[in-house]
Amino acid sequence: MKIAIFPPNSLILADLVERKGHEALALQKEIRKKVIDPEIDSPPFNITEEEPIKGLKYAAIEVPSGVRGRMAIFGPLIDEADAAIIMEEAPYGFGCVGCARTNELSMYYLRKKNIPILELQYPTSREEAIEMVNTINTFLDELEEKNG
Amino acid sequence: MSQENPDNTDVTRMIILGPSAQVSPTELVQKLHMLELPLTIKSTCYGAIIHGQEQVVKDAMERIRKLDPYNIFTKDRGFPPGDPRRCRAKRGAAREGFHQLEKEFELLDCVREALENPREVHVEKYEKIAPDSLKKIIEECEEE
Repeated sequence: MKIAIFPPNSLILADLVERKGHEALALQKEIRKKVIDPEIDSPPFNITEEEPIKGLKYAAIEVPSGVRGRMAIFGPLIDEADAAIIMEEAPYGFGCVGCARTNELSMYYLRKKNIPILELQYPTSREEAIEMVNTINTFLDELEEKNG
Repeated sequence: MSQENPDNTDVTRMIILGPSAQVSPTELVQKLHMLELPLTIKSTCYGAIIHGQEQVVKDAMERIRKLDPYNIFTKDRGFPPGDPRRCRAKRGAAREGFHQLEKEFELLDCVREALENPREVHVEKYEKIAPDSLKKIIEECEEE
């Protein structure tokens, strides 16, 4: 199954998902498509003027172009997701207002999608981290049981 | 303007050694070379970066993980190894993503512990609340 992870660049979430044989919809896969080709832009940009236009599928025109640009990268991952794991309050998920609003919008879309979702808080202690790993593994095992 | 190229199937993966790993980054890179796969391999402070055809990278990852299954972690990377837009040799200062890796590295030992001693836990499922129940809660709160 294709599992959306949030934060979408998390090492721990991506690794745990892949250990269970699922595909983690990591942000890097989308970024790779945009940065590996030698093109007219030098250096090629992660986000070009095309992205805010593509982002219109996910956010209205009144939404700042920074959010729409980011949503052009996050959006296709959300569309593909069969399930999702959201880890809130991750310290490295902190960023500018554009990042914060994009995070909120991405989580909103994931919750609205009517797919199995596991919501967690970023662990702050050893016990919480162990609990988090066990919860993720149980959630992934249950997905396997449901879908074969 | 940069365009997506669906024909390019080369992928890059970061291999990260946990704090209790039984192999060093040097040993890891040696083992990767000994697999004799058509890969670009770069040694790093946290482990290694491998770059090549998707299936070859996947194969290498599965084989290398067997060295120390609970201490070898992997994740995708968008930029190829040594890319001047990311490589510290060209840019100076910490690479983008380094601080995230540094933060997650602190938890890797706990992840290792949980993976070695798996435990069944109850996953709480949240459901939507019916409007009547919500009204009842509001009334109860107002009464208080």
